[in-house]
Amino acid sequence: MSTDHWHASDDLAARYADGTLPEADAWSLERHLERCGGCAQRVSAAVRQLPAPALVLAEVREAVLAQAVPSEVREPSTVLAEAVASEVREPSTMLAEAVPSEVREPSTMLAEAAASEVREASTAPPAPRARLWSSFLARPLWAAGPAVRGAWLPAVLLVALGALALAYGAGVDGARPLLLAAAPVVPVLGVALSYGPHADPLHEIAAATPSGGLRLLLTRTVAVLAVSLPSLTLAGLLLPASGAPGAAAWLLPGLALTLATLTLAGYVGCRAAAAVTGGGWLCAVPVPALASSADAPLTRLTEQLSLVLDGPLAQGAWATAAVLCAAALAAGRSAYRMERP
Amino acid sequence: MKLFRPMRGHGESDTDAALLRAVADGDAAALATLYDRHAGWLHARLTRRCADPEVAREVLQDTFVTVWRSAAGHRGGEAGGWLWTIAARRLVDARRVQERAARVETAPMDVLGAEAPSAEERVLAGLEFGDVGTALDRISPELREVLRATVVDGLTTREAARLLGIPEGTVKTRAMRARAELRAALAQLSPTPTPAPAGGPA
Repeated sequence: MSTDHWHASDDLAARYADGTLPEADAWSLERHLERCGGCAQRVSAAVRQLPAPALVLAEVREAVLAQAVPSEVREPSTVLAEAVASEVREPSTMLAEAVPSEVREPSTMLAEAAASEVREASTAPPAPRARLWSSFLARPLWAAGPAVRGAWLPAVLLVALGALALAYGAGVDGARPLLLAAAPVVPVLGVALSYGPHADPLHEIAAATPSGGLRLLLTRTVAVLAVSLPSLTLAGLLLPASGAPGAAAWLLPGLALTLATLTLAGYVGCRAAAAVTGGGWLCAVPVPALASSADAPLTRLTEQLSLVLDGPLAQGAWATAAVLCAAALAAGRSAYRMERP
Repeated sequence: MKLFRPMRGHGESDTDAALLRAVADGDAAALATLYDRHAGWLHARLTRRCADPEVAREVLQDTFVTVWRSAAGHRGGEAGGWLWTIAARRLVDARRVQERAARVETAPMDVLGAEAPSAEERVLAGLEFGDVGTALDRISPELREVLRATVVDGLTTREAARLLGIPEGTVKTRAMRARAELRAALAQLSPTPTPAPAGGPA
């Protein structure tokens, strides 16, 4: 069992057990015990010969074996049943609740302690497969922020599906201009719902973390864009053109408005910033068109949208605006260090 | 109190490795046999390293509870060494908890110089046993403690620092001084080899 050419004598074992063996001999023996099972048994037996260690060893043995319940018995219900049974077995403990704990029998307290420890151990085992899968789904959803897991996601789907329903269900000619007019506001609203005490019940905690502030807001904005850009553009592609600009024409304005919202949010908060940018877009493009000419509002809206979205000049202007807003955001990122409602 | 299963079926014949495999399969009787074989010397060894008997007892219990839960992690090797590794880590953890309870601010000492050659390893491995014993008796208890933690118990500098409740830098300087003193003591001894002491496992 061992490669050593010596083994512990009974005398050596006894002197190690009672602690009188000099340090150097003890070290040597200790290293030997790690490799030699026979000597380990001999020394353990010698330790058990002494009254004080023997008592401790017996008590620890009981405590260890009380926790070493075979795994199939580790179900909480079984443990609970055992605990109940052990209490019922001794009539005196029926009154345990009414009796102060000092008066209880030590054995009962030990049983209770052991049972509670076993119960704790039984709650520890790894998550079952079902929980694992749901956590795969729940974690990214949770990490994506309050907007994507909250009411905003249904709102995006409602806009996209509503446009399709208008075009093909109700036969409205000009659903794409309506969608293009509404689309840039959608990610802006997502940003508004992504960060701040009004949006996130965990905001106080999230803001105090090292990744709080702009970094977290940017992460959540990416989630918002990842949901809204494809779904709204896809919906636009499925709609009849009816003279409006292409389905992807809203992407750059949407991006520019989102970045403008982020820039402003550092100073005035997400909600106010989104109100400014989103409201600005609505006031500038669709509202005048829909309000001014009562006879053909959709035609007017299409013209208006063509003006602000169509052509390299308009798109170039939006791209420039997006870049400028990104630069302003980078320059003003220190505004996020101050927490605002 | 009948929380225990009847323990039967593991005699003297089973090797420690077989017992550990049985423990990994959830056999409480195997754990009991393993406990009877090893708890005694582990307790004695822990008691030599820990003045508080209550802590030694808790560490012993933690050790075997850990064995019960993670016996499957045993990768062959000697069971005794594996058990001591667990016990030593548990002891360090217990010290850390204690330390947190009563934290003492100590200024870290400067770590000096380069690594000396591992004198103690050479010494413990090769030289006459009586020589080492005498040399070890000559160095101060603090230095001996550090040597024991780092060389015999196989702890890292950080773990030894936690175990002994001193800064890591102090462990390093003491280990270095211990080497130097051991070397000096051995240099004085080696010209006249002494026979091994009567009870010693020579």
